[in-house]
Amino acid sequence: MNKISAFSARNFKEIIRDPLSYIFCLGFPLVMLIIMTIINDGIPPQTGMTIFRIDNLAGGIAVFGLTFVMLFTCLNVAKDRSGAFLVRLYATPMRSGDFILGYVLPTLLLAVLQILITFAASFAVSLIVGVELNVLGLLLALLSLLPTAVMMIAFGLLFGTLFSEKAAPGLCSIVISLASFLGGVWFDADGLGGVMLKICEILPFYHAVKAARMASALEFDGYFPHLLITLAYCVVITAASVIVFKSKMKADLQ
Amino acid sequence: MNAIETKSLTKRYKTKTAVSELSLTVREGELFALLGVNGAGKTTTIRMLSCLSKPTSGECCVCGHNCQSEAAAVKNIVGISPQDTAVAENLTVLENMRLICGIYGYSPEKTKQRIDAMTSLFRMDEVANSRAKTLSGGWKRKLSIALALIAEPKVLFLDEPTLGLDVLARRELWSVVEELKGKITIVLTTHYMEEAEALSDRIAIMIDGSLAALGTLGELEAQSGESGLENTFVKIAAQFGKGA
Ligand SMILES: Nc1ncnc2c1ncn2[C@@H]1O[C@H](COP(=O)(O)OP(=O)(O)OP(=O)(O)O)[C@@H](O)[C@H]1O
Ligand SMILES: [Mg+2]
Repeated sequence: MNKISAFSARNFKEIIRDPLSYIFCLGFPLVMLIIMTIINDGIPPQTGMTIFRIDNLAGGIAVFGLTFVMLFTCLNVAKDRSGAFLVRLYATPMRSGDFILGYVLPTLLLAVLQILITFAASFAVSLIVGVELNVLGLLLALLSLLPTAVMMIAFGLLFGTLFSEKAAPGLCSIVISLASFLGGVWFDADGLGGVMLKICEILPFYHAVKAARMASALEFDGYFPHLLITLAYCVVITAASVIVFKSKMKADLQ
Repeated sequence: MNAIETKSLTKRYKTKTAVSELSLTVREGELFALLGVNGAGKTTTIRMLSCLSKPTSGECCVCGHNCQSEAAAVKNIVGISPQDTAVAENLTVLENMRLICGIYGYSPEKTKQRIDAMTSLFRMDEVANSRAKTLSGGWKRKLSIALALIAEPKVLFLDEPTLGLDVLARRELWSVVEELKGKITIVLTTHYMEEAEALSDRIAIMIDGSLAALGTLGELEAQSGESGLENTFVKIAAQFGKGA
């Protein structure tokens, strides 16, 4: 455990000491939260469009924010792999599992902190605009987002392991776009219907947003299928990233 | 017991034999210099000895432990300062050292004791709280070597430790290496002949992955009929069809 906690502490510091991680992981989601709330204020109630109302926005922005945790996980891993630092650690008693946990645990902590801050900000906004947000619901939404957080981190580990420091962010931006557009963060995916909705339903992001929204509204009718799909994706992507990291490490040591 | 033993150690990449049938022994406490032109196979040899690469054939042992079948035991007793400086850029000098102590599972007391020892050995007080990425090349390299030494290795691999250092920094590093001499076994690669002359007990010259000559400076001079390591090196290289 000592090895893992030492390496985790290093990775935590490595990420929080990069000013860009505050801008992307905190600043960007919070700014979007405020902008969308202002936009929502301008939407006439008779249109019936509630996608940017804070109770819908909170879960969506939390998922959006997690995509940036993926980006920073990915950058951290890719940077380590490009330099000689990882080689040095390979020559210590660190094993592949120690590396993986050392990368995942601190970023999971960051993800939880990020969700907490996003939800706290959402709660403050809800008080201002007079839409009810339930604290218990937000806590359940946080729990519902854990599989998605792990999945995003696993995506980061996967891309950071497979691709160079230059190529990896590009792949992350694909996931960021997919998550925000096909997750129904910025529009009502259910209203789309047809093929688009089918595509949304195949990918995990729509379900992550749905699960978070429903949990925060304490609405459990049809909640569990969404949660189970995010869990399944979490397991598959995590397994893939572990297999890839281990086999890459083995190849590095050939 | 010998600190290092290699038997017909060979590493072949797809199109290139990096190390070929290398057989040598390094005695405990010895400072052993590995010389050779670019691409001679020095780094590859060190990688195999520190379990960072698997031999294609042949074998190597460190302190009696086979690098392939007893990799965990070998990793516990070797320290490596890679050719490229390897430090965690966003951590301070102290944090870098604490990280390595943590990886080796040291207690807080032991960690403090080892950090103090390294800080005074490399006179790193003034940079102790600087982030690694803000350090000059010389300080970074010292830190990189300190990270290899902090876990008290029995065998230390220094791959071109003074590459890119100014004259004073190089001399300073030499004096650190001299302090370590006799206490632990050191394998050093370098392109600076005067460095090998000044520091090493024995010298091996590799050419195209093979061992071309091995002995003390005096022995190599006698063998080649030249004086000084540089002339000796050039002569031996010429005998193997290399050089101007
Ligand atoms: N992963 C690899 N794949 C293919 N060839 C490799 C690999 N690593 C090293 N080589 C080749 O093996 C040979 C020996 O390389 P090595 O790095 O051991 O040389 P070196 O003596 O350390 O050289 P230098 O003084 O330049 O550091 C070189 O020709 C190199 O191109
Ligand atoms: Mg080399």
